[in-house]
Amino acid sequence: MTASPETPPSPNSLTAPRTSTPAASPAAPSPVLALLGRGLAAGSLGGLAAGLFSLLLAEPLMDKAIRAEEARSQAHEQHDAGAAVQHHEELFSRSTQHAGLVIALVVAGLAIGVLFAVAYALVHRRDPRANPWPRALAFCAAAFCAVSLFPALRYPAMPPGVGDSGTVGDRQAMWVAAVVISVLGMFLVWQVYVRLAGRSQPVRQLAAAGTAAAVLALLWALPDNPDPTPVSPTLLWDFRMLSLASHVLMWVVFAAVFGGIGLRALRARAGTEAASTPAV
Amino acid sequence: MSASAAHSAPHTDTAAIQSATIQTRDWLIAAGAVILALITLYAVFMDNGSLISATGDYLHEFAHDGRHLFGAPCH
Repeated sequence: MTASPETPPSPNSLTAPRTSTPAASPAAPSPVLALLGRGLAAGSLGGLAAGLFSLLLAEPLMDKAIRAEEARSQAHEQHDAGAAVQHHEELFSRSTQHAGLVIALVVAGLAIGVLFAVAYALVHRRDPRANPWPRALAFCAAAFCAVSLFPALRYPAMPPGVGDSGTVGDRQAMWVAAVVISVLGMFLVWQVYVRLAGRSQPVRQLAAAGTAAAVLALLWALPDNPDPTPVSPTLLWDFRMLSLASHVLMWVVFAAVFGGIGLRALRARAGTEAASTPAV
Repeated sequence: MSASAAHSAPHTDTAAIQSATIQTRDWLIAAGAVILALITLYAVFMDNGSLISATGDYLHEFAHDGRHLFGAPCH
């Protein structure tokens, strides 16, 4: 930006796209594709980190919960003629399910990365030149609250063997409603912050925090989880903490990868700009 | 003057059309990716044999531990 007014527009300027092929230009009008790649990379690594973490720490706990479940259902079967037998029939061995955990979280991470990238592109399209590192960290913190923390506060994770298969449809609907309310609520918080741009920092930040609290409170308008939790409180607490920890780990890795790739892209762009300026 | 204006007008038009085409293409790709991502999330966290009904509950059982850990409701 040190160029004099007489300097012709740099190749990055939107007014001179004729000289370079538009699709390959670093300043292509829409950065969506690069962001999608960034989201896929960040999501797969975040999911992998969360999956390996849980494989090491949470799976022993899950196996314990499943053994407790089997003991309970055996006692139950003796009570009323094997009503639960059909449901507890195993399709996969536990070790296959251990691998399934990691694969499921990597696949989910990829999908979350795509949604994150598109939301990031929508929110940040007005100022594409801002520093990508603090922006990725802030966006990941908001996404962690919306996708992981708020829904988990309303409907905390349950170890295997707690849920009743008769209520799984209702519980899924409630959980999805909680996630949707949290995500829309986070956009509302952002809008409140943006629209109070004329006010002082304390006013904007307190208004945004108040909106977040209202969204969190709204989650309690949803019905309670109808299932009893017949496991030891220690196991329940440990499982929920490990679940939350794996969410935190996923978002930390996600933010580092997404922001890091953004920084690299910024440096590469600055490099080409610096190289093109003296030549002109 | 008028000649140069007439000369430059088609150029800005093509540039505008090109950039609009790229934007439309990118947003179509983004929309397709979002739909794919939502289907994937449904398959991993919500399917109970309805998406791949021929295979019964296999998808659910394979992703079973991941569901519990992520906080998705399960049986």
